[in-house]
Amino acid sequence: MNDYDVIIIGAGCGGLSSGALLSNQGRKVLVIEQSEQVGGCCSTFEKQGYKIDIGASIIEFPQVIDLCFKRMGTSFYDEVDLIPVDPTFSAILHDGSKITYPISLEETKKQIEKISPKDAKGWEEYSKKIQGFLDAALEGFFVSPAGNLTDVIKLFAKTPALLKYNRLFFSSYEGIMRKYFKNAKILESFSFHSFYAGLPPALLPGHFAMLPYAEHAGIYYSKGGMIGIPRGLQSCGERSNMEVKLNTLVKKILIKNKKVKGVMLDDGTEITTNLVISNINAKKMYFEMVGEEHLPWLAKVGLRSYAYSIASPMLYLCLDYEPPLTEHHTLMTRPMDKTNDYWNSHYLKGSFPKEQFGILSWTTKSDPSLAPKGHHIIAVTLAPGAYHLTGTTWDKEKPMLKEKIINYLADTYLPGLNDHVVLSELSTPVDFEKRLRSPEGAIYALRQDLPHSMMFRPSAKSRHIKGLYLVGASTHPGGGVPTVIASGMIVADLIEKYEK
Amino acid sequence: MKTVTIMIALIILLFLIYLCQPKSRKMFILNLLSQVKYLIPRYFT
Repeated sequence: MNDYDVIIIGAGCGGLSSGALLSNQGRKVLVIEQSEQVGGCCSTFEKQGYKIDIGASIIEFPQVIDLCFKRMGTSFYDEVDLIPVDPTFSAILHDGSKITYPISLEETKKQIEKISPKDAKGWEEYSKKIQGFLDAALEGFFVSPAGNLTDVIKLFAKTPALLKYNRLFFSSYEGIMRKYFKNAKILESFSFHSFYAGLPPALLPGHFAMLPYAEHAGIYYSKGGMIGIPRGLQSCGERSNMEVKLNTLVKKILIKNKKVKGVMLDDGTEITTNLVISNINAKKMYFEMVGEEHLPWLAKVGLRSYAYSIASPMLYLCLDYEPPLTEHHTLMTRPMDKTNDYWNSHYLKGSFPKEQFGILSWTTKSDPSLAPKGHHIIAVTLAPGAYHLTGTTWDKEKPMLKEKIINYLADTYLPGLNDHVVLSELSTPVDFEKRLRSPEGAIYALRQDLPHSMMFRPSAKSRHIKGLYLVGASTHPGGGVPTVIASGMIVADLIEKYEK
Repeated sequence: MKTVTIMIALIILLFLIYLCQPKSRKMFILNLLSQVKYLIPRYFT
C-alpha cells in the first residue's frame, strides 16, 4: 500500500492544476513545494506592506484556464476574484509616441486607422485569421498531448482545421506580423509580444502571432496579486483532499526496474507512490532527480541539447506617488529589427545595457489594495538577460545596475521616479534561479522555437520511466500561465487513460 | 553522375534563395538548421 496515489513535485500552476483534477477524480494527491508559497512564476510576495508579483502580471486566455475549472464543476470566474483590464496595453515607441489598444476589436481598429488606414484593414484580416486558428487550437492544440508522432497525428486528426493554419507553424512571429501590418509604428507596438514566449520576433514560431490578438478576448488581474490563480487551483484541489506541503525539497525520484516507486526528500524521508508528476524543469529533473543511469543514451543526448529559455530580470518598484502611466501594462518597445539586434548583440553576447525596453506593470492601477493608501507598485519586466554575463557576474553588477536602470526610467518613461522610490529590488536571473530553483533562471523552462516544440519537447508521459509524468513549461504546450494549466489537464487525462 | 549534378544545382539554388531572404528570415532559417541534428534525440525525451 503506497502512501499516496500521486505525488507532484512543484506547486506551480501546472502541478496544482493536475493535482486538483486528479484529486477530483478521487486520487490521493500530495503536492510538494520547495518554497514557502504556491505558484512558481505566477506568485506574489509581500514586503513592508506591498504585495509584489514575482513574474506573471496579467492573465491572458482565460478561456483555457476556465476549461480546467469547469472540469471540476466550477468556473475560473467563481474561484478567483478577477479584475478586468481594459485597455489591453499602451506601447510607448522608441520615438516617444504612444499607441493604446482597447479590448474592443473595433476600437482597436480605429486606433490603428488613425496611424495607418491600410493597417486597419490588415488588423481585420489578421483578427479573422487568428480567431480561426484559436478556435481550432482551443479544441486540440492546447489540450491534447503531443509527445510523439502518433499524438501529433491524432491532434491534427481531431482538429483538422489546424491544418489550414500550417503556415503559422513554419513562419516566424515577425513574418506573420509583417504580412498583415506594414506601418513601422504598428509593427513596433507588437514587437515586445514575442518575448511573452521568450524569443525575439525573428525566431519565434508564427503561431505565437496569436498573442497580441488573444488579449482582446479579455485580460484580467487577480485581486490580491497573481498568487490568486494558483490559490484558486489549490483550494479546488483541497476540497477533494489534495494535500500541499510547503518548504519541502524533493531530492530524488525513487525508481526500480524503470518504474516509479516514490520520492526521497532532502532530509532522507521516503514517501511511496507509483505515480510522480514533475512540475520542475525537465532537464534538471531527469539529470538530478531521476539519474542518468535510468536514461538511454539517445534521451541523454536529447536532454543535453535543450537550450534553456530566456531569463527575465525584474525590477520591483514601490512608490509613494502615482506614476505617470495610464494603463496596467505599458510596453516600452523598440522596432522589430532592433529587438532582433538586441538578441544578437546583447543577449547572446552576455551584456545587459541600462537602456531598457520591456513592460511596466502598474499593478496598483487595477488593485490599489496591493500597496498602502496612496502608494503604488510597478513591476518592470526588463529585456531578457543572459544568465552568464561576459566578464562580470549579476551579483557584482546588481547594485549599480539597479540605480542605472532607475535613473534611465526616470529620464524616459517615469519622470519624477527618483524622488518617490520607497522600496526597490532588482531580481536577476541568478535570484530567479535561487527563488524558484529554475536552472539559469529560465522562465519558460526550455526555449520555445520549433525544434523545442510539440514532440521535440520532453514528453508529458515519460518514455523511459513508467509512472513518471511531466507538467509545466518543460512540456507541451509550453510556458505561460494558461498553457501550463493546459499541461495539467493533458496529464490528468493521460493518467486517467493509462493508470487505472 | 546526373543525380549528383542535379543535387548540387538544387543546393546552389536553395543557397541563392537563402541569400535573397531578408535578415530576419535568415535568422529564422539558420536557427532551424542549426538544430536539425538534435531532432531525433529530442524525440526520445
